[in-house]
Amino acid sequence: MALLQISEPGMSTAPHEHRLAVGIDLGTTNSLVASVRNGVAEVLVDEFGQALLPSVVNYAQDEAPLVGANALAKTLNDPLNTIASVKRILGRSSEELRTLNEYLPFQLVSDSESVPRINTALGPRTAIEISADILQALKLRAEQTLGGSLTGVVITVPAYFDDAQRQATKDAAKLADLNVFRLLNEPTAAAIAYGLDQAAEGIIAVYDLGGGTFDISILRLRKGVFEVLAIGGDSALGGDDFDHAIAQWLLRQGDLQINENHHFMRQVLSQARAAKEKLTSNTATTIALKLPNDYELELSLSRDQFEELIAEYVKKTIITCRRALRDAAIDKQQITEVVMVGGSTRVPLVRQQVEKFFGRKAHTEIDPDEVVAIGAAIQADILAGNKTTDELLLLDVTPLSLGIETMGGLVEKIIDRNSTIPISRAQEFTTYKDGQTAMRIHVLQGERELVADCRSLATFDLTEIPALVAGAAKIRVTFQVDADGLLSVTAQEVNSGASASIEVKPSYGLTDAEITVMLKESQDYAQQDMQVRSLREQQVEADRVVEALNAALSKDGEQLLNEQELVVITDARDQLIAVRENATNPDDIHAAIKRLENVSEIYVARRMDSSVRSMMQGHKVEEFQK
Amino acid sequence: MEFDFSRNYFELFGLDVDFSIDIDELEGSYQRLQSQFHPDRFVSSDDQDRRIAIQATTFINEAHDILREEQARARYLLQLQGVPFDVEQDTTQDMDFLMAQMKLREQIDEVDQQNDPLDRLDELALLARQQKKELIEQYQQQFAVQEWDSAKDTVLKMQFFARLQQQINNKQEALENELL
Repeated sequence: MALLQISEPGMSTAPHEHRLAVGIDLGTTNSLVASVRNGVAEVLVDEFGQALLPSVVNYAQDEAPLVGANALAKTLNDPLNTIASVKRILGRSSEELRTLNEYLPFQLVSDSESVPRINTALGPRTAIEISADILQALKLRAEQTLGGSLTGVVITVPAYFDDAQRQATKDAAKLADLNVFRLLNEPTAAAIAYGLDQAAEGIIAVYDLGGGTFDISILRLRKGVFEVLAIGGDSALGGDDFDHAIAQWLLRQGDLQINENHHFMRQVLSQARAAKEKLTSNTATTIALKLPNDYELELSLSRDQFEELIAEYVKKTIITCRRALRDAAIDKQQITEVVMVGGSTRVPLVRQQVEKFFGRKAHTEIDPDEVVAIGAAIQADILAGNKTTDELLLLDVTPLSLGIETMGGLVEKIIDRNSTIPISRAQEFTTYKDGQTAMRIHVLQGERELVADCRSLATFDLTEIPALVAGAAKIRVTFQVDADGLLSVTAQEVNSGASASIEVKPSYGLTDAEITVMLKESQDYAQQDMQVRSLREQQVEADRVVEALNAALSKDGEQLLNEQELVVITDARDQLIAVRENATNPDDIHAAIKRLENVSEIYVARRMDSSVRSMMQGHKVEEFQK
Repeated sequence: MEFDFSRNYFELFGLDVDFSIDIDELEGSYQRLQSQFHPDRFVSSDDQDRRIAIQATTFINEAHDILREEQARARYLLQLQGVPFDVEQDTTQDMDFLMAQMKLREQIDEVDQQNDPLDRLDELALLARQQKKELIEQYQQQFAVQEWDSAKDTVLKMQFFARLQQQINNKQEALENELL
């Protein structure tokens, strides 16, 4: 079973031995590792007494990667090989990054691959590999401090991380050779840190604004059980946006453009960050910017101006809080505690707006940078079995709804967001044409109704469905989300028992094969396999497209298209059929599919129009149904 | 580890098989069961126990979801009595009810045109809650005298209110976003 593949060698023996377990906060800007020692959770520091490990990696030829402060120090001199804020692209596709359209402080390899790779002196690296390098450094620190190898770790992720981002985090841990007990939502970790200290009972709101992500969680704590009632957030909003807002402002003042001068851009960004930090305790600050032409520009920025620059972002977080409260079916007045997490909550405007919204003072006693790692360490200690009493239990929820594509590009939700996990839900679907023996299942994550607006997690094919009249075969699709929030999907034809299952990997994420390759550093075989597999995938896709088109054409092709249009479309179709038979390169088939899709666009649009028209003719009882 | 999957949801939580349940009692025994069977308790156990833990807590979560929500609980009770439900096909035939529903939906859609759309929405939500409450009372009477068919029809009607509430929530969200 997909959910139970983590093996933990030697874990069932030696029951009384204290097992070394740590909590890791893998952050956008900084990362930390913490552990429970002698009953006290504390962050582990490096040889200079520093707890924060900057999440920065520097790559140089023929050398081991440099992680942390030493890498950070190279930012100005070696910007292209010094990678920061990699969490922002972890689990994201190249496509998505293009649409994000923000300034990323590194160069992406420009090729057609769906997993973005960053150019470094050590060759192209994925966000997963870079994250693994950071984890490796934390692991080393922990093993040196604790004096032994780790049994397991709890790694925190933003509550709003989707399946792809969670999977990518786990993959990074796998590469760093870490045994992951559990992925834990950051806000939940913070609540654990506070909750256990204060033995509180009530409803807690955790507002977590980090470098690159924002989360709000509403939790109920009762008799040692943490129940997550709702979570919300934005996995691409954080303190970095404040820096960028100041940087943009600086460029505007200097009448400069965002440019390719990475050295200069780095300087602008780090000046912006410094200004932001100064404005936490000061009401104004000056910024001395050294321009590329060697002139120095001196600017003064007041806290009021700064707050104006970031007001939009802060407002966005408050709207999200409102939504989370509604999801939890909780009134603001019922909130008994507000906990602040993440370095960006030091910004006075943030604290002020949050306290105003919830109408109460927020907790800030534990260092907002450390609180997540401390909570993770407590949970790791419990999961390792070091606690004799079961004093704490976490009941977590799914951050986003999960569903599958149905007719017309719509998403049918199978598991709603904020359902307590683990959870399993099944739904039955049926064939839509006579003799249909295969069905494609497209798994999506998100709240929107259209497939195009949701995140595509995976597609797979169920074959060997017995050939029956349309609607007679019953296909049962089951979603199972495990305690880490990871999804696996199975589909089964109810009468014949034909089944297919997958562990959901993002469509554009790393496959297990790819990870194996990285581990072995030998690429040849796997690439061949991948070629064969993706050829097969493209052939299936081609068949599906042709079949769908033929079915549509036979239904209304002649009504909706004139002769010339019809010829263009059927020509493209016949071409695709020919390519599908002869091509050995999957890209060729893909291109032919795209061509066919392009010339069919007008037809699709007209079909949609005509089906909308027919749907709107008169009200029907069915309109009220599901 | 052992877990008895053959119990019905009421038995699982130690409740009487009846529509009216004590929510605090449900929540209390839900948490007790979770404390006992959650996968976090079996991180270091063998494969079989970990698999049972996932299945058991999945079962417990499902049972909890069904019992704490009135319409789902009402339907489940009828299913225990052997009354079949087909999500795709079943619907109420009560035309007056359907018309009233349609009207309510239109009113929700049109709140934008009112002076205080959020207040108006609150009124409509209240109205919907009252109507649902009446349905629940109706159901309890029908269930008590074992009129399964009419009880089922009442459950099918309740379903509409869940969607109505969703529509109200969506509208509220949209209006608030505009105001902010």
